[in-house]
Amino acid sequence: MTDRLSLRTAVPPTAAGGEGEAWAGPAWVPTRALGRAVLLTGLFLLLGVALGRVDLVLMAAPFAIGAAAGLRRMPRSAPELTITADEEHIVEGGHVEAAVTVSNTDVIPYDLVVLRTRTSPWLKLEQADRPFAITVPRDGWYSVQLPGDAMRWGRQPVGPAAARVAACGGLLACRPVVVEARGVRVYPVTEPFNATEAMPAAAGLVGNHRSRRPGEGGELAGVRPFAPGDRLRRIDWRVSLRTRDLHVAATLSDRDAEVVLLLDVLGEIGLSGGVAGSASVLDTTVRASAAIAEHYLQRGDRVSLLEYGAAARRLRPATGRRQYLTVLEWLLDVRPDPVEVDENDYDNVFGIHHLSSDALVMVLTPLVDPRSADMLAQLTQSGRYVVAVDTLPADAKVTGGGNWTPLAGRLWRLERENVLGRLREHGVPVVAWAGAGSLDLVLRDVARLALIPRGR
Amino acid sequence: MFKLGAQIDAARGVLAQATALPFLVRAAVALCGLIAIGVAWPAELIASQLTAPLLMLVAIYPAVAPRGRGATSSALVVVAGWIADTVGVGAHVELWRVITIATLLYLGHTLTALAAVLPYDAIVSFDMVGGWLLRAGAVVLVSAVLTVATLGLSADLAGGAFVLATIVGIACAVGATILIARLLRRA
Repeated sequence: MTDRLSLRTAVPPTAAGGEGEAWAGPAWVPTRALGRAVLLTGLFLLLGVALGRVDLVLMAAPFAIGAAAGLRRMPRSAPELTITADEEHIVEGGHVEAAVTVSNTDVIPYDLVVLRTRTSPWLKLEQADRPFAITVPRDGWYSVQLPGDAMRWGRQPVGPAAARVAACGGLLACRPVVVEARGVRVYPVTEPFNATEAMPAAAGLVGNHRSRRPGEGGELAGVRPFAPGDRLRRIDWRVSLRTRDLHVAATLSDRDAEVVLLLDVLGEIGLSGGVAGSASVLDTTVRASAAIAEHYLQRGDRVSLLEYGAAARRLRPATGRRQYLTVLEWLLDVRPDPVEVDENDYDNVFGIHHLSSDALVMVLTPLVDPRSADMLAQLTQSGRYVVAVDTLPADAKVTGGGNWTPLAGRLWRLERENVLGRLREHGVPVVAWAGAGSLDLVLRDVARLALIPRGR
Repeated sequence: MFKLGAQIDAARGVLAQATALPFLVRAAVALCGLIAIGVAWPAELIASQLTAPLLMLVAIYPAVAPRGRGATSSALVVVAGWIADTVGVGAHVELWRVITIATLLYLGHTLTALAAVLPYDAIVSFDMVGGWLLRAGAVVLVSAVLTVATLGLSADLAGGAFVLATIVGIACAVGATILIARLLRRA
């Protein structure tokens, strides 16, 4: 058997995949202009000598002088390209400052640098869709500023950017230099949310909510006879004088609670118009989650987040401002995460046992996928305090251009209303998200339900 | 038909996106070509209805497709016309015509090189275009001085033009060879 011929590969091997040294072609290559200059110079000289015409030789002179002047010093290194973007706390609708910088470490100036940048459609950066033609002096740099506005939450990329450089009067050109994209973190705008109702089950050791357990707190539970161990300052002197026996005021302990925000990310519905336009399901989900988390974390409660999707991402419960920042960071990575498996198999993916039995579970869902309704029913059956927040846009409609589309849309609406009704019958309160105070009535109902002794 | 409609739409999109300076650069390429042909070619052929459109097409084509071989063809057509006029028709080799043709050929060449790398919709820095034109102007000026001096010298030598062309041509050929050798060694 003969040895295999060693042929050069058509595609240069990458550094990661190839063995040995990576393929590295010359960074600078001659342009067609150089070929033209050399050809015309040679041809004119040849004709001049052949025909004995000095004028033809003189016509070659500019080409020869231009090429000699341009190529007297050759570039040695490739240009360096960097993208800088805001690292500050940017909220939807806020101002973003980004810049692409070309550095020239070479001994010759770059006569022309064509700079192109691709940016996220949700970053409205000035002139970012156009190439920039600039010049960079030797051992210098030039920065193209791209100011603009961030229109939607998420990690919005600035880049990748590419630069193509021409030097030596356009006789040499550099192979395009590409730099990776840089993400700008745009946090969701938090719609104002305020809930005055008590938590259904306060379960921690300390906090602001009155619990159902007696202890040191501010909420009066009743008056009872004095017992060994009671503090003297707890003695209710009026009752003691009236009954001629020592009585103390009993209070309920103040404790914190756990709030679980369950985000239904099985699909995206509606068209997002950014911060100033219409809101899609995920827009409403993320903005409402941020608002609810901010509210409860300010009150000292523990907040955790969980995705109802294929990845089932989870954020551990914690409290305080640090957790709020973590929640915002976690929400940046929310994206549609459909589950392709059979709906019956999905029961095993989402484990209800992950949820604390005392936690208030707020499920933000468009209630379009039947599995979401099943999940809500299962949570309620397992004894969790569940509130479903309907995130479906009011103007959501079935897309399609067929004659039967309006009818299909109406049927789908009726079916969805039927599901909502059945959920309410099973004790799952479903409320549309409307910002401040929208959940008060529902939370009050849940708190009342929690007062009923549990037992099955 | 469908393809033609798509091409018209694409052209309309290009025109809507185009910016002033890249357009002016391409217009300058076409203008250089037209004037060079006008100066170099015999007046009878330029006035002819048969050749005039063809010559205009050759002059304008590098502006439309600067990345192609149009600029080389255009320069060759200019020189062909110049030889035809001076050898065929018997026109005199005048200083202004030689300088104009050499200047316009080089300007057309260097502006085509710029147009080839300059996107039509780019936001162009004036420094870049200014620097480019300044360098081209310096080259043209040096060449013009060289032309004036050389043609004056050849007139003084009275009949030694063939010898002078040979000497200058061989010197330039040696220079060009050194240049190409440097480039090959670099690559």
